Amino acid sequence: MQTIWQHIYAAFIEADRWKLYLKGLGVTLEVSFFAALLGILIGTIAAFLKLSTKKNGSKTVASRIASAYIDIIRGTPTTVQLLIMWSGILATCKNSVLIASLTFGINSGAYVAEIVRAGILAVDKGQMEAGRSLGLNKFQTMRYIIIPQAFKSILPPLGNEFIVLIKETSIVGYVGMSDLTRVANQMTSKLFDVFTPLLGIAFIYFVLTKVLSILLAKLERRLRKSDNR
Amino acid sequence: MIIVKDLHKSFEDNQVLKGVNYHIHPGEKIVVVGPSGSGKSTFLRCLNLLERPTSGEIWFDGQNITDPRIDINKVRQHMGMVFQHFNLFNNLTIMNNITLAPVKLKLMSEEEAKENALKLLKRVGLEEKADAYPASLSGGQKQRIAIVRSLAMNPRVMLFDEPTSALDPEMVGEVLEVMKELAESGMTMVVVTHEMGFAREVGTKVLFMDGGNIVEENTPQEFFSNPQSPRLQEFLSKVL
Repeated sequence: MQTIWQHIYAAFIEADRWKLYLKGLGVTLEVSFFAALLGILIGTIAAFLKLSTKKNGSKTVASRIASAYIDIIRGTPTTVQLLIMWSGILATCKNSVLIASLTFGINSGAYVAEIVRAGILAVDKGQMEAGRSLGLNKFQTMRYIIIPQAFKSILPPLGNEFIVLIKETSIVGYVGMSDLTRVANQMTSKLFDVFTPLLGIAFIYFVLTKVLSILLAKLERRLRKSDNR
Repeated sequence: MIIVKDLHKSFEDNQVLKGVNYHIHPGEKIVVVGPSGSGKSTFLRCLNLLERPTSGEIWFDGQNITDPRIDINKVRQHMGMVFQHFNLFNNLTIMNNITLAPVKLKLMSEEEAKENALKLLKRVGLEEKADAYPASLSGGQKQRIAIVRSLAMNPRVMLFDEPTSALDPEMVGEVLEVMKELAESGMTMVVVTHEMGFAREVGTKVLFMDGGNIVEENTPQEFFSNPQSPRLQEFLSKVL
């Protein structure tokens, strides 16, 4: 009992080490937050582009570009994407949070695009037909009928994507950023204690994702209002 | 009112309509019957361009609506459509289902649309459902609301695509009742249906479609008592 307490004390409290974790947590949250926003934005746009068709039903150029983007991003490791951005495309940029947010945002966008697309396709075709038959145009029907219904089925996998995103930011240590994982990693070698710092941050990651899923579950319940019989 | 000229429609290699010609006059109740796969639903869906014809023309109120320069959304405001599977907007209350199009298309103010919707709901006996969501209604109720939703646009013609085919048998009557009332009010109607009783009672003309063409057209009286083509005779012997 005594030693567990000593380990925890050494890993988190001694010499104000909790401040380092807090800073690391800040980096993790910052990158996750901006990446999620960017991911939603890019993903939604990419989803609609991928769904776009010409009058004769064939795919538009924009649709092909969106498909290529999704394919390439999903087909390559996030770590490699981060390294390419860091040491290649944005090598001159000094703002590491910006680089990481961009990388994860572009990465997440590809997954969000498929989630959004699936959600829209899952809405019964008759809903669009009914809207159009009343004289509403495609955009109006999308906005008032299709998207509100799609959103309900998009939300759970979208929450899943954000949870993955938060955890995936733990690779930013690769490019020298001091996020939660890197802080813990450095602590393990400093204190010759492998377990306590890592268990500590595992707990923090868990709390983060748990809070997120509770919030999403709440939102989901509210959106299910129209399903009540 | 609606003139169909040499209407062809193909899905990939499957030719569904093979040169349909027809003229619908104001006030007529055209009932379209025929075996499944005969093209009757496709014919109906071509009338408001939910399906784009492969070739041929459709004229509505003196306008060739198959002309690509025509704003089809404007045209559809005057053509109500009722679907087999109701297609009520699941995310909206009954009231908002009815008022969405007139309000968003700026044809009525919100108050006007609501007042009008309540009047129409009363007509079909469902005014107490105004704040309910579609999921809480029976099939018959949904279809009556769907009819009201179309009527809220003050259409000049109403298209019905097998409006009772997805209903439990005991709910067919309530929907047909609303349609009969609508017919009596003078509405121009085109109805694809399997309800031969309705065709006989309400139709001014009955069309028999088979193999992508109108095979026979007659008054209900003649259509049922004196069918000409062997295909129709065979069809009627099976369904009556």
